[in-house]
Parts: sequence; structure tokens; C-alpha cells
Amino acid sequence: MTDAVVLGTAHQLAGRALAWLHRAHQDGLGGIGWDAGPDLSDPNEAYKPIGECALAASLVLREPVAGPADRERARALLDFGWVQLQGGDLLYERQFRHLLLTDPAETYAPFHRAGYRHSRLDALLRELAGLRSARAVECRPNRRLAVANARSVLGLPPAPDWPALAAATWLGATPEPWAVDWLTGYDLTHAVFHLTDWGALPDRLPAPLRDYLAAWLPVWADVWQETGQWDLLGELLTVDACLPAPVCGRSGWQALAAAQHPDGLLPRDAEPVDPETAFKDNEHTAVVGVLAGTLTLAQALR
Amino acid sequence: MPSTETSPRREYAAATEWLAGRALDALIGAGGPALLLDTPDAPAHRALLAAAHVLGPDLLAPALLAGRPPDPATTKLAAEAHQVFAAADPAAPPAAALVRAWRGWTTAGLLARAGHAGPAELPSGPPDDPAWARWSQPMAQLSPLALPGLDSPVHLLARQRALDLARGATRAALRRDHRTALRLARWLAWLGPADCPLDLPPLLSHLTLTGDGTPRSALDLALCRALGGPR
Repeated sequence: MTDAVVLGTAHQLAGRALAWLHRAHQDGLGGIGWDAGPDLSDPNEAYKPIGECALAASLVLREPVAGPADRERARALLDFGWVQLQGGDLLYERQFRHLLLTDPAETYAPFHRAGYRHSRLDALLRELAGLRSARAVECRPNRRLAVANARSVLGLPPAPDWPALAAATWLGATPEPWAVDWLTGYDLTHAVFHLTDWGALPDRLPAPLRDYLAAWLPVWADVWQETGQWDLLGELLTVDACLPAPVCGRSGWQALAAAQHPDGLLPRDAEPVDPETAFKDNEHTAVVGVLAGTLTLAQALR
Repeated sequence: MPSTETSPRREYAAATEWLAGRALDALIGAGGPALLLDTPDAPAHRALLAAAHVLGPDLLAPALLAGRPPDPATTKLAAEAHQVFAAADPAAPPAAALVRAWRGWTTAGLLARAGHAGPAELPSGPPDDPAWARWSQPMAQLSPLALPGLDSPVHLLARQRALDLARGATRAALRRDHRTALRLARWLAWLGPADCPLDLPPLLSHLTLTGDGTPRSALDLALCRALGGPR
């Protein structure tokens, strides 16, 4: 059972991170540019963050834990993102021109979860779902899980073989827990996120992986807390919220809360924040803060 | 201007490595479990006593693992070091005092088996911090207690909190604190593969390659491997 201190901290941290994101978007940050075409010279610049922001907002709306003000902010962030994606046209055009790209479906999934629809994109994705070519696109195992979960959220066939997908990941090998690195830390968190559909289906995580995480997740959280890697620590605490019950305790949460700035900015690491690039540098960590807090509260209600 | 004088601290550290090397030879060498202490390169007696205190029960481990009584010279050295350093340091923090008390109790028990003075009074209790990361620190310092045939409340707790020991070893390895990782691996080896939450051989191989390469670490590694063998 999650302790009350963790719940209180998670609630406050997520609310402040969400308000920071919302305020930044109101101030004109996070836009994709009106002249953006479907080819996107740098998809990581604004397109990917819009999807990530939509993901966090869609989960704020999915879980019955946020108050009315936070739900309004989440809806505003989704509306903002949907406008930036030209009501889904940009996703459709991108998928139409590049049949084997997976990011249109992945970006569409959180909007779809929150009730947004683009009928031509729906039809195109259904058609592509039937192609052996689209299903066989080569990607890393945790990315394959991301695509499988996006398609599952969108209701596209076929039903994924979750155990086989899980087994192909780093986490699926239940490796030596002392032989992990920073980048693999992100890989394993995403394997859990997609396998559990962001905490909604903890039992979709195979039991040996649940046991493995229960044993070693506290160690990884401790190590990356010590090094001030707040972004990764937030992701690891989100993993904790995707398990049937939390295993990490309050220390990580208290460290994250202490790192959060008075205006709600959650720094990605322990380096000084550059005011000129504060939004781009720390936008992802704000999303992580919203996810970690929201899913921790939701886990306590399950 | 460089000084040719050696500080007592450095002298004692060098003596500890020397003595660990002798214990290692006794453990894995062809000459049997007696420590060869009477060699021309042996440290001064005062430094040797300090080294024997630092190694504590490890000094008597080669004989214990060979199933024989310790040789007279080693027993005499261990007994003298135990006597000289037996008194608790009143200025020591409670956690350090507790570690010292348990190590002393264990050495006294092993000496009693070898016919020396009776065992010391049982310390007040084992380290019992509920937080695994904090608890693993004194347990690493108490790794010389991880020997076959020994039992105490510390050993009981080690069995009960095997996962915390494994977490501590994992944390230490990730922090490149190889010495602590090795000491906790010693407890994991003592638990045996059936009760160890980690696959230990890969960690030992990793620590062999990435450790500090000192005789003391080599002794710890050899003890880990000896504990993993038939008892």
C-alpha cells in the first residue's frame, strides 16, 4: 500500500508540473509551427513532445484522481496539441506519405484515448494494420512494445503476443541488475509502460518480470536519485506505479519534490537550469512528473 | 621535498595487504592453511598486530575452511591483536562500535575453538536499520563473519534479509564501490546459491576484473569462491 506521504507528494508534484506545462503552452511555447509539413525536418523538436504531453494529459483524464482544475488543464493541453497537429491532418499526411512510420499511430493513440478522432487516419491505420510489411517493420524490442500498445489503444488488429514481445526486451531477460546503464534504464521503463498500458494493466507484465522489478527497482531508483537524474528517477517511480503494488518507498519522491522549482519546473538533472532553454530542456521531465504522480495516485485506488 | 618516512596509517595499510596476501596463499596455495608469517619482508610487529586486527576473523578463515585448527603462529598473532585492540573506543560512533564488537566477538569465538581465552560477551544486537541501503553498510563491514560454521543474530538476519544484501551488492557495484560490493557478495556466497537472490558467479567475475586488485580484495574473492564450494 502506498503511504500517505508519497500520495501527498505525488499529488502536489504532478499538479505543479501540469500547471507549469499548461502555463508554458499558454505563453506560446511547445508549438510545432504553422508551416510544418508532414516530413518534419526534426520530429524530436516539437512533434514528439506534443505526443508526450498528450500522453500525460490523456492519463490525467483516464484516471479518476485529478481535480477539476487539473482536468481542465489536461484537456487544454490536448486541445492545443490537436490544433498543432492540424486536427490530425498532419498525422494522416505523414502516415500517407511514409507508410511504414510508426510515430503517427503512436502520437494519435493518446488523443484517441481522450476522444479525438480523424476518420481518414483511422481508415488508413486499419488498412496498414493488415499489411505484413507494416507489422514487420524493424525496431528495437521496447519500441515494438510501444507500437503494439498504440495499436491496441487504437483498437487495431491483430492482438499482440505480449509475452513474446516482453521476452524480447532487455527487461525480459531478467538480466544482472548491476549491469544496467542510463540508456537501458529508459529502455526498461518503457517496456513496463507499454506492457501495462501505463499502469492500467499491471497483470499484463509477466509475473517473473514483476518479481524482478520488485527486487531491483528500488536499487536503480536509489542510484539515479543519488546522481540527481531526476528525469530517469521520475520514470522509475512511474514504473513503480505500474506494478501491482509500489516497492520504492518515499525517498525518491521526497528527492524529486525537493528538486522541483517553486514555479513547478521539474529539472531533468542536477545541473543548473538555463532560463533561455528551460522549457525545451525540462519539458519531458514535466511530462514524467505528471505521469509519475497521476499513476501513483491511480495505483493507490486500484 | 619528498619524505622517505612512512606514516603509521600507510604502514598499517601496507601491513594489512601483506597479511591478506599471506592469508590468500594459505587459502589457495599448495602449502596448506598455515600462514607463512616469518618471512624477510614481514612488517614490523606493531604493524602486523594492527593488520591482524583489521583482518579479524579472516586471518583464521583459511584453517576454518580447510577444516583444521589454525596454526600456532597465526593463532598467537590473532590472539595478541585481539587482546591489544579488544577495548572499545569510547569516541567511536555507535554504528562503528557495534561493527567492532561483532568482529571482536567472532574472532574471540574462533580463538576459543583454538584453545585460547573464552569467547567475548555477545554484542547488544545486530545492525537492524530497516532501510536496505543503510543496513547493507554495516553488513558489508561485518562480512568477515560470513564463514561456515558460525552462527549469531547477525547470521540469522543475513538469512532473513538476503534480498537486502543482494540489493546492497547491486547498488555498490553500480556505484563502482567494488570493495563494498565484494564484501556483500561474501555474504551472498555464504548464503549459498539456493538462498541467494542474485546470480553470483557473474558478479564475482565482474568484480575480479574491475576491482582494485589488492591482496585484500583477492582474499575476499577467494573466500567468496571457497564459500561457494562444498562445505
